[in-house]
Amino acid sequence: MSQPAISLHRVSRWYGQIIGLNDVTFDLPPGLTALLGPNGAGKSTLLKLITGQLKPTTGSLSVLGQDPFANPRVARNLGYCPEIDNFYEELTGRQFVRLLGAMHGFVGSELTRRVSDSIEQVGMTDRCDRKLGGYSKGMRQRIKVAQAILHDPQVIVLDEPLNGLDPVGRHEMVDTMQRWAEAGKCVLVSSHVLYEVEQITDRILVIYKGRLLAQGSVEGIRSQIDQHPHHIRLVCDQPRKLASALIGRTSVLSARVLEGLVEVETSQPDAFYNELPALVLEGGFSIERFDSPDNNLEAVFHYLVKS
Amino acid sequence: MPFLAVLLSTLREAAQPRRLAVTFFLVFLPAIIGLGWKLIAGAERFDAPEIYNTLAAVLVFGFILTILSVLYGTGALSQEIEGRTIVYLLTRPMPRWQILLAKFAGAWVAITVTVCLSLLLLGVAIFGGKLPSAFFQDLRILPLGALAYAGLFLMVATLLTRPLIFGLFFAFLWESWVPLLPGGFARLSIMAYLRTLAPHLKETAETTGAEEGQQNAVSLLTSFTPTEIPASHAWITLVGIIVATVTLAMVFFSTREYAPREEGG
Repeated sequence: MSQPAISLHRVSRWYGQIIGLNDVTFDLPPGLTALLGPNGAGKSTLLKLITGQLKPTTGSLSVLGQDPFANPRVARNLGYCPEIDNFYEELTGRQFVRLLGAMHGFVGSELTRRVSDSIEQVGMTDRCDRKLGGYSKGMRQRIKVAQAILHDPQVIVLDEPLNGLDPVGRHEMVDTMQRWAEAGKCVLVSSHVLYEVEQITDRILVIYKGRLLAQGSVEGIRSQIDQHPHHIRLVCDQPRKLASALIGRTSVLSARVLEGLVEVETSQPDAFYNELPALVLEGGFSIERFDSPDNNLEAVFHYLVKS
Repeated sequence: MPFLAVLLSTLREAAQPRRLAVTFFLVFLPAIIGLGWKLIAGAERFDAPEIYNTLAAVLVFGFILTILSVLYGTGALSQEIEGRTIVYLLTRPMPRWQILLAKFAGAWVAITVTVCLSLLLLGVAIFGGKLPSAFFQDLRILPLGALAYAGLFLMVATLLTRPLIFGLFFAFLWESWVPLLPGGFARLSIMAYLRTLAPHLKETAETTGAEEGQQNAVSLLTSFTPTEIPASHAWITLVGIIVATVTLAMVFFSTREYAPREEGG
């Protein structure tokens, strides 16, 4: 198995008496991963540790096999878009990206080419010669991303990159992030907006109060939460009859009839889905559609937080 | 090239309009006072060397050099930290000591250019085209003073969240009064070493740089323990201060955390 791009082993980080990150362990391979958690959960602390701005109080972490703290070798292969909205306001977008590119050691035509390419990737070519002070939130966000990708890093860490972007901008940004992931880069994106994360990727890390609550796919995480019943909604022509047929089955905890549908509570969703076709055929039910509200990220997140 | 980029960025920050206004004021202040003095005193009573020494010692060395060193020395780093743009520097593939050194160089250039310009204007205002040797001696010592002060204040900025308070305290209380305390305390002041290397300033500061009442107090204090610092000691000490403060600043900056706090998670 190839070396993980980012690896944390029992990492904790304290700010005096307050714990920012609590015993976090995970390995991230290349690909797109979302870091999900509410404000104050420890996302930014985790990203600052990964980008070498902070040191862990205990535990160890590595990025591309090396300790990232104040490590230029890691920084050479790592791009970071911070959440903060601070810039050298008197510069234009192009000057800002160029300045940070120069700090990477690029010069002359190579620097000019990289600056133009990265600005183009974030869709700012036509607006990059205006002063940063006059930029909208979305434009500032794009320029921050441009400086993070200028040096074509292997690991890209983006802290709330979709903040302030309009729907079209979000769509473009998500597409761009997915392209980087497809190109074999390790892209870690933080967000506190659940539906946003669902659109970005299926691979998530859920963090809350400094603890890593879960990691993996949304469905995979949901299946780990055994103590919480899984809800399935069936829209059918005979909801009362269907509910009667369902009650008593071992895979079904309860069945409620709502407006034109049956909501089933099950602790064994796989067994339930296996039994459902035979039951429908036997009873002659016409199922219009079925879905599970628990398969979205919001439900997963709330379950994890409650547990 | 990365070093140069940080250095130029530091100079650009130093040339912010708000700072530039203060700088312009300080550059012209001694020359304006000198010209005013010349005008009021009249040609017969105007002792050009003495007036120059007074203004150079009190205003250029004692005020402009120290205040600009505080502003640019601490500001080179604290402006990035308070403005939270430090994050862009810390995530570049540059050793942190190199970032710090570039910041130091930028601060030193800004201080030196401004103070030397101020001294030049003062010299021209007082002496016209014929500048005396004391002027050139001061011009040589000013960059050294800028190095010492910039190193100290930059080091303080790597350690304290509000270095400006320390800087102002040091520049205007410590540097003004500690050299006057009995028991060789002058050796704890950077200004004492600078005045040793430009001795006319020392005499002026002690004899004409204060009001009459203060002058008596100053004379009384210094007469108890006159601190004579040999020039060689002054050179060695100043170089030692520069090397020690810059080295410590580089060590602190390389090992401490400066990540800004974020609004969110």
